[in-house]
Amino acid sequence: MTTLLSPLALQDFAPHDDAASPPLFEARGLTVQAGSLHERPVQVLRDVNLTLRRGQVLGLIGESGAGKSMLGRVIADQLPDGFRVASGSLRFGATDLLALSKRKHRSLLGREIAFIPQEPMMALNPAMTIGAHFREHLRRLGLSAGQGRKAALAALADVRIEAPETVYDQYGFQLSGGMCQRVLIALAFISNPDLVIADEPTASLDVTTQGHIVSLLRALQKRHGTAVLFITHQLRLAAQICDQVAVLYAGEVVEEGPARELFLHARHPYTCALHAAMPNFDGEWRALASPSGQMPGLPEYPMLTGCRFAPRCASAIDACLAEPPVLADCGDARALRCIRPGAVARNAEAENAETNPLSQSKQLAAAPLLKVDNVTKIFRRGGWLSRAPGQTAVSSASFSVAPGEFVGVVGESGSGKSTLGRLIMGLEEPSTGRILLDDKPLGGDEAEWRRRIASIQFVFQDPRAALNPRRSTLQLVTQPLQPGQVSRQQRRAQAEHMLRSTGLPLDTLTKISSQMSGGQRQRVNIARALCNTPRLLIADEITSGLDVSVQAQILNLLLRLRSEFDIALLMISHDLAVVRYLCSRVLVMWKGVIVESGETEAVFSRPQHPYTRELIAALPPEDISKRWAPLAT
Amino acid sequence: MKEHKARHQLRLGEGRVIVGATFLLIVVAVAVCAPWLAPHDPNEQDLLQILLPPAWLDGGDWAYPLGTDSLGRDVFSRLIYGARVAAIVGTVVPVGTCLVGATIAILSGYLGGIFDKSISRLVDIWMSFPAVVLSLVLMVGLSPGLRNVILATILVDWTRFCRIIRSSVIGLMKLEYISAARIAGASHVGIMTRDLVPGVLPIIITLTSVEIGIAVIVESVLSFVGVSVEPGIPTWGVMIADGLATVFQAPWSLIFSVSAIVLTVLSANMLGDGLRLMLDPRVSERRRIEA
Amino acid sequence: MSDEAQAPIQPWPTGQISGAGWAHLRAFGYLGLKALRNVLAIALQLFAVSIVIFFILRIIPADPLSMLTPGNATHEDAEQIRHAYGLDRPIYEQYFMWLGAALQGDLGNSIQAREPVTRLILAALPMTIELAFCGLGLGVLLGALLGLTAFWYRGRPVERVGETIASLAQSIPDFLWGISFVLLFGLWLNVLPFIGPIDPSMIVERRSGFLLIDTLLAGRWDAFGDRLLHLVLPATALAMIKVALVMRVLRSSLIEAYQDEYVNAARLRGVGEGAILFRHALRNAAIPTVALIGVQAAQTFGGTLLIESIYSLPGMGNLLITAIRTHDLPLIQGISLTYCAIVLLVNALVDLSYLWLNPRLRRQ
Repeated sequence: MTTLLSPLALQDFAPHDDAASPPLFEARGLTVQAGSLHERPVQVLRDVNLTLRRGQVLGLIGESGAGKSMLGRVIADQLPDGFRVASGSLRFGATDLLALSKRKHRSLLGREIAFIPQEPMMALNPAMTIGAHFREHLRRLGLSAGQGRKAALAALADVRIEAPETVYDQYGFQLSGGMCQRVLIALAFISNPDLVIADEPTASLDVTTQGHIVSLLRALQKRHGTAVLFITHQLRLAAQICDQVAVLYAGEVVEEGPARELFLHARHPYTCALHAAMPNFDGEWRALASPSGQMPGLPEYPMLTGCRFAPRCASAIDACLAEPPVLADCGDARALRCIRPGAVARNAEAENAETNPLSQSKQLAAAPLLKVDNVTKIFRRGGWLSRAPGQTAVSSASFSVAPGEFVGVVGESGSGKSTLGRLIMGLEEPSTGRILLDDKPLGGDEAEWRRRIASIQFVFQDPRAALNPRRSTLQLVTQPLQPGQVSRQQRRAQAEHMLRSTGLPLDTLTKISSQMSGGQRQRVNIARALCNTPRLLIADEITSGLDVSVQAQILNLLLRLRSEFDIALLMISHDLAVVRYLCSRVLVMWKGVIVESGETEAVFSRPQHPYTRELIAALPPEDISKRWAPLAT
Repeated sequence: MKEHKARHQLRLGEGRVIVGATFLLIVVAVAVCAPWLAPHDPNEQDLLQILLPPAWLDGGDWAYPLGTDSLGRDVFSRLIYGARVAAIVGTVVPVGTCLVGATIAILSGYLGGIFDKSISRLVDIWMSFPAVVLSLVLMVGLSPGLRNVILATILVDWTRFCRIIRSSVIGLMKLEYISAARIAGASHVGIMTRDLVPGVLPIIITLTSVEIGIAVIVESVLSFVGVSVEPGIPTWGVMIADGLATVFQAPWSLIFSVSAIVLTVLSANMLGDGLRLMLDPRVSERRRIEA
Repeated sequence: MSDEAQAPIQPWPTGQISGAGWAHLRAFGYLGLKALRNVLAIALQLFAVSIVIFFILRIIPADPLSMLTPGNATHEDAEQIRHAYGLDRPIYEQYFMWLGAALQGDLGNSIQAREPVTRLILAALPMTIELAFCGLGLGVLLGALLGLTAFWYRGRPVERVGETIASLAQSIPDFLWGISFVLLFGLWLNVLPFIGPIDPSMIVERRSGFLLIDTLLAGRWDAFGDRLLHLVLPATALAMIKVALVMRVLRSSLIEAYQDEYVNAARLRGVGEGAILFRHALRNAAIPTVALIGVQAAQTFGGTLLIESIYSLPGMGNLLITAIRTHDLPLIQGISLTYCAIVLLVNALVDLSYLWLNPRLRRQ
């Protein structure tokens, strides 16, 4: 391994003995403000205290919009226009980061402080080879071209890339996401930095890849004694790899402490709520509970005079709204920002106790509603001159769905699960094979299309793209009602009924999609799909863009709709826990093939196919006393 | 911060629309009222008073406020009558081009397949002509005349509309709300009119208003070469061609006719630009909120 | 999800492409194939274009004969022409006669000049190419410089001013710029020549036909300088729109490139702002700009037509205008076909330059 130790100040520290040594990185009372002169300033980060010691991993946990990426931007001195540090301090070793000149600050980046970005595929310049990235970086670190190549190849080998020389000459877009992330990790560690900031490094990767990347990161971190700030939204992942954890909500650290302690005994109502909203994969099935609403956006911050979580908190009292609580030291190496510690163990009981879907699986009717019979889909590529072989997206898929049955389809990206859904909906034509509805094959003409959409409906992954931005919720939700066949009053009545069923406030009727939140948009999508009471709903990754608490709301909604409308569901998801929460039966797809199927509980507890086993092993276990497979080595 | 920007953009757009539309309306008004406004018949020759400078200059005559051309015709009156052709061309051509181009584009983008492919090929072939060359050749084939000028301009320019609108339709088709509408049971016509047309309307409106200026330019180019309207009809393009011949002795008629065209083109572009700013979805969203 | 239609993700790309040398070789092979396809496509398109031209000029007119005959022709002349052009034969036969001859490089004889059309076109072509090349080159150069400047000062008044001037420059068609320059710099300020390609007293032996080259070959620096002076106004008139377009497109694609994650990632590695602009962003931002240059190259040749007429340059545009005024049909056909051939060729070259700029396209 190349060692490119920097000559700067940080080397002066003596070898440390844990708590006694001065922290490597420390934020005290850090507050970041946004807003120009004529607008009320918004405190994007408020009074953030963090301590990171040498060789430790500090997890920063929060849902999207909590401000966790903002911290990275402060450290990199790259706040967006209009944002500034209003108060507090930020120390890196002996250096005051906030007092550094732009130039000095930049010279730290890529040397003592390195970043691992969120979207590896996007973070490599498409016009530069991997080698060019290394050459540029190593020239800056002062290596000659010859040494540089050697060092780069060694670094690539270090991140477990098997053919470094090949990769060195390739472009980022020729590599998979996981490979890109390895390359970026190699770039980050090549200068042997003291601090690495990993901003959701696995958020855009598949589950199995996530395991590889995290174990790699952990191994490199241990070997170099690097301190890592690990930003993530996954509580369980953080519990596995972090020493310390801080939970961020709406720009504030609400709770802080050793990862294991905090995971096992959450104290802040928000942390508890996060736990309660997360579907579990191992252990008993339990109903999800989630606080109502969602995290406030920046414009709402000034209105939140007290605790920022109070409006959603089940145990909030008047005092919570009066003034912002302080982050108080609890004495046992933990800190909490709540004036009612211990008032709640778990936030709110399930709004309506959902029943375990797994217990219902036996009562299903025998005659299948939908039958997929040996369906194959091959995508042809290129024009008439190209002889490129087609891409088999789905290969000989056969299965059936009974009325009222909830079936899950799991697999990673590229497994063909989305294509399968689109084939059933009729958005793609199967290359071979048949799809039968009520035992009658679905044809391609207009009458057959009407028969299909009367029984099958689809909810798209991206709620924003699936809603016409110019039409109101009223128009969108009642889109399936044919114009001319229903009166205006009927239309409105039906829309109101659908909104109530999907838990949307009635004033949503006149809103357009950009005026709603992500969760509300997805509810509108579901409401539209249910408008004509179909018998089968296909849901394609409908919660993957949503935060955990909103996801829980949507999942519970689906369970409730099941009893209200008696629909069947084909839940396409990469998230095994989500499928386990909803579905009695599951299909596992891998490279276009259904490799395993059966009762959810049976498949997940006794997986037969190696790929299913791999998928399951890649999940961080809920019981943190268990060793997570990727870290076991 | 974002709202502030949107408001600024809206105001900027409104200003441009007002300025642009006002000038274009003036041109139309002048064209309609030409017989009452013009002091002379535009073709009346006064061979004793040729190449007079504007009245306020030495040797000028207030009977000819903007001077005369090489045949002693009144430049001011010709400018006023020239607005007639400009107004006709500037209304009929944009509407015609938009109807032809947008219809084909939406059909082509929505239907896809072989129809879309053949339309794209046709547009490619059309576009391998420099626009000037194609319109000149078309005018040679069609023989001069106002109707043919309009026809030729539409035949040349529909491809530009078609290509831009089609690619925007294709972009919209990738969005899932088109599939969602289809699943919700919307008919093909319904999707085209409710989901596609509103989506491309801002582009159509912008293109159409810019086309006002282009139509006037094309007419002047054709006049310049001598294959435009019937002889005897004064147009700004004819005035440019005449003026260029006598540019050494008297540049006046050239200056005035060029200015007339430039101002018309600038107003058309301002109108288009302003509408683009105002129709920006981010801005119209804001208007909706305020309403 | 669309990504499922793409290739499966290979965890280890070993054995896919081995080594850079091979990859480059493949890229070049692909480039050759692509070039071959382009040549084929050009041929097909030219064929289609020739049909369009023929259709417009021979079928739309009610009486092609009267268009073919000069005004002072006698009845015998007319009959002779009718026979010479095969107007007494079916229309498709007429077309294939014309096409067959054209394929052998014979575009017929000009009615007015009584000379082969091909010879007339070849004589005029260099003038047009020289003008278009200078106009486009000037436009791209200035536009790129201004685009970079505008980007560097983004969000400041400088950018606003540049933007306003650009939208003005872009609104006015090039032939009106040409006339305005004649009025302003030629007649009023009287600082630059605006008639003819070069001072008539400077006689230089014609070798390549390109005056800039011929003057140099003859070692006549004075003539070269004079030629440059004569080029300033027409080339600038042609360049005005291009300057504005290139500036706007480059600036906005730079702004777009700066929003890409790789720029942010480079910054987080401590890469300096200059390197980010020139090494990271510019190459990616150049792609839309090159696309624009391709479209504009075609437009420039259209623009030369009127500019040549305004500045009395004996190029193809002037030839076409004369041909139109005298109804010289064979010449009109020949010239319009040549214009299209040039445009198609330029577009094909731009296509190939994409491949060089954008490694993503090199993959099949």
